Amino acid sequence: MGTVVSIDLADQLPDDKLTKLVEDTCAWLHEVDARFSTFKDDSEVCRFRRGELTLAECSPDMRHVLDACADLWRHTDGYFDANAAGPLDPSGYVKGWSVEVASARLAAAGSLNHCVNAGGDIRMRGTNAEGSPWRVGIRHPWQADKLSWVLAVTDGAVATSGSYERGEHVINPRTGKPASGLRSVTVVGPDLAIADAYATAALAMGESGITWLAKLGPQGYESAAVTDDGRAFSSAGLPAAV
Amino acid sequence: MRRSTAAAVGTLFGAALIVGVRLSVSTPVVTAAPTDVDLAGSGTSADPTPSKSGSKKEPTKKPSAAATDDADDAGEAGGGTGLTDGTFKGKGVVNPYGTVQVSIKIADGKITAAEATYPTTGNSATINPGAVLKLKAETLEAQSADIDAVSGATFTSKSYKESLQAALDAAGA
Repeated sequence: MGTVVSIDLADQLPDDKLTKLVEDTCAWLHEVDARFSTFKDDSEVCRFRRGELTLAECSPDMRHVLDACADLWRHTDGYFDANAAGPLDPSGYVKGWSVEVASARLAAAGSLNHCVNAGGDIRMRGTNAEGSPWRVGIRHPWQADKLSWVLAVTDGAVATSGSYERGEHVINPRTGKPASGLRSVTVVGPDLAIADAYATAALAMGESGITWLAKLGPQGYESAAVTDDGRAFSSAGLPAAV
Repeated sequence: MRRSTAAAVGTLFGAALIVGVRLSVSTPVVTAAPTDVDLAGSGTSADPTPSKSGSKKEPTKKPSAAATDDADDAGEAGGGTGLTDGTFKGKGVVNPYGTVQVSIKIADGKITAAEATYPTTGNSATINPGAVLKLKAETLEAQSADIDAVSGATFTSKSYKESLQAALDAAGA
């Protein structure tokens, strides 16, 4: 996948336990990569794409991911689309889901205060080492060393989709062309996989994504967005740090 | 008309009638008919005011059997106000979120109870059908702050090295 994962464990636990938790998390993420990487010819997703596996023969995780992509396609009016770029590619869901699962496993193993950041998509629980809510900065869409918003989150997820890192990699499934109109979308809510998919979908929608994002409030998902021409918007419940 | 029906019913019962769970982009579907409400045991015979909040005394929708809306005449026996005793249902008002129907109970010529049925299933219901959620416009900030993590568009391993997140990770080691 080529992305860097930062793991911050804030629990008061012995060093060897913390090391084991980090190792287990990395092992999980490597397992996800082996199964879902579209860059590895022998991955399960590539074998499925080539027709070497039927859906019934796929692993439970693969079937879950494909089901989730189908649900999200419906919930985003078709703008979250694992086929948007041509061959099936559930990576947009897998990235957030893998960290969501990693966080759940950490919690089950005894870490209730942690922050896992995979390439800008973050799932956190509890508080930081100082006992305060995790402070998450949203990277400014033009100035790489500045922040456009600072959030304070205890249990939840923050996902950002933007066009300023990997260029126009998000395709608008309706037109088949790269999305335009929004430069950065951040979604905050309980589940990182869903937040990530929503952020990507909103970016794909362009400016009309701003209206769509507002409807996510009652579901528990808040958002912040910046247009290509520098206008900023945020939802009423965005957990901004004062 | 539907907006005032909802508002009147809202003030009668204090709490919001919001029963839907979320707004979604798909068309709302009401999958069950609203159930009728039994008014037999509700209200008190001496108190002509059914409202908890006290601001309104009768629903906007009038039952077809009532002759007048003078429900707050005090002390008159049944026929005096022109209201016939009994339980009456107003016409169901259909709006995109379902059907709202108001019923009132009249005893001694006074309204002693009022109830509304409203959609209890389906994707969305709202006390204010005209409300549209919006993101608020604001000024794009460019600030520095003490933070634990950065959320941005997925960075490549190469750009990670120069990123804020890398600086944080190095500082925390």
